[in-house]
Amino acid sequence: MMQNEALLPPAFAGLEPFVERWALPRTADRAARRSASTPEEREAFFHAAGPRLDEALDYLDARALRDLEGPDRRLMDLMLGLAHVALAVEIQGPDEVKSAPWRDRMRIVRSSADQEAA
Amino acid sequence: MDQAVSGFQRVPAEDLAWLGTDPVPAAPYYDPVYFEAERQAVFLKNWIHVGHVCEVPEPGSFVRRDLEFARASLLIVRGRDGAVRAFHNVCPHRGTQLVEEASGRQSKFSCPYHMWTFGTDGALMSAPDFEAFHVEKKDCALREVLLQVCGGMMFVNFDAGAAPLRDWMGAYAERLEQMPVARATTFAEYTYDIEANWKLTYDNFQENYHLRFIHPRSGGAGIGGANQFGYPVSMGFEGPHRTQRIWSNPEPALKPFQRAGAMRGIPPLAQAGLLGLPYERDYLAFFPNLFVIGTPTQPFSHTVYPIAPDRSRGVVRVYWVGDDASASQRFAREYSLAQIRDIHAEDIAMIERGQRGLTSGALSHIHFQSMEALCRHLFNEVDSRVQAHLARGAEAA
Repeated sequence: MMQNEALLPPAFAGLEPFVERWALPRTADRAARRSASTPEEREAFFHAAGPRLDEALDYLDARALRDLEGPDRRLMDLMLGLAHVALAVEIQGPDEVKSAPWRDRMRIVRSSADQEAA
Repeated sequence: MDQAVSGFQRVPAEDLAWLGTDPVPAAPYYDPVYFEAERQAVFLKNWIHVGHVCEVPEPGSFVRRDLEFARASLLIVRGRDGAVRAFHNVCPHRGTQLVEEASGRQSKFSCPYHMWTFGTDGALMSAPDFEAFHVEKKDCALREVLLQVCGGMMFVNFDAGAAPLRDWMGAYAERLEQMPVARATTFAEYTYDIEANWKLTYDNFQENYHLRFIHPRSGGAGIGGANQFGYPVSMGFEGPHRTQRIWSNPEPALKPFQRAGAMRGIPPLAQAGLLGLPYERDYLAFFPNLFVIGTPTQPFSHTVYPIAPDRSRGVVRVYWVGDDASASQRFAREYSLAQIRDIHAEDIAMIERGQRGLTSGALSHIHFQSMEALCRHLFNEVDSRVQAHLARGAEAA
């Protein structure tokens, strides 16, 4: 990556601090990161990115999924990471810590989102 | 909310009384002798789900499936003629397992030991220095196991004299064919190992009595209103199989992101004609260890494979029609997969606690209420086969 290349499309630059932790290429990696994060990290990501979901998906839907690369691809992966984190924050809430070890026993071995993942 | 608004009416207990009301013995859930009888009389005599046809899309496509209950490894392969067959993954020369890869595509299969080579139809094509053997090639084909397909789902039967799959499924064959799984071209999968008997594990997913206690947060749309337990609106039975129709809360307590995420998946489902199918709220349980759900946003199967009296493996697959075509569709599928996985994760702690209690031998019997009728039906169907098997053994002795 070039040094000053944007991590995300310009309209989503405000979410760049979350890219390194949450924009991961495979479903199982995203699920594992959810478990390996702190409640504070999950809440910060969810509260920053959750309200941008519709906008981000509308932006990405205007592009061919197979051709997503660079900033667009990272935005897609970031939203997929958000799917997992939203379940932790919005649904599981206080039960998230207790349920994580059980969930980790459910090994994701295949996902439609992994088809083009490197 | 009153009952008229929610539309919920509990299945009357008297409609289910034919299944019996007595306590059920506890030993079948941990006893090794019973487990061995089940293995022989249930798992080696019935159609067992092993995969989906979309896993073997082209001639030469294969998957390897190891089935502990049969102590077998199967090679499931689509032949050049388009037919899908299952073979023991065993070279007829001296028994070496042919294939180590979990899946792939090949035009022939060679045993690494002495290079016996087989076609996609299982026939022995060539074997070095074969003239020195005292056998004919036609007698050296891979050993075939019955494989038949319904609704895209592949089933095998280790009993060569078994009735055809569709006869065994009865009226449920047609229902399965109308579920999204029948049109699936891909799927997501997660698996888990569990320290519990296969029936105890499977039973968790046959009753809704536990939902409000184990899934108070994640079970949102399936409990509440006039149906605090989330009981099914109907149950049905077909030979050894059974069904229930899942109740929908007309005013589900969906969270904002959950609702937004779900909405993203709806237009592609509508476009593909996957909404409003006749069995979209149905759970179809095929004897002994598979159930399939028709819900369009989350059409999944769950199979519980027995490994030992107190050990099993669960395989959950969420089926999709077509590859991810848009960011919204990919997002909705990821959310759907993660959501059902959360719910299943909540179950396995309780199931293992149940197994530890049962294995202790503290109980001679366990109890099923009328809304656990599907669990009782499974026990009845297993037990009649096990008792007949044990009686035949006693006669032979």
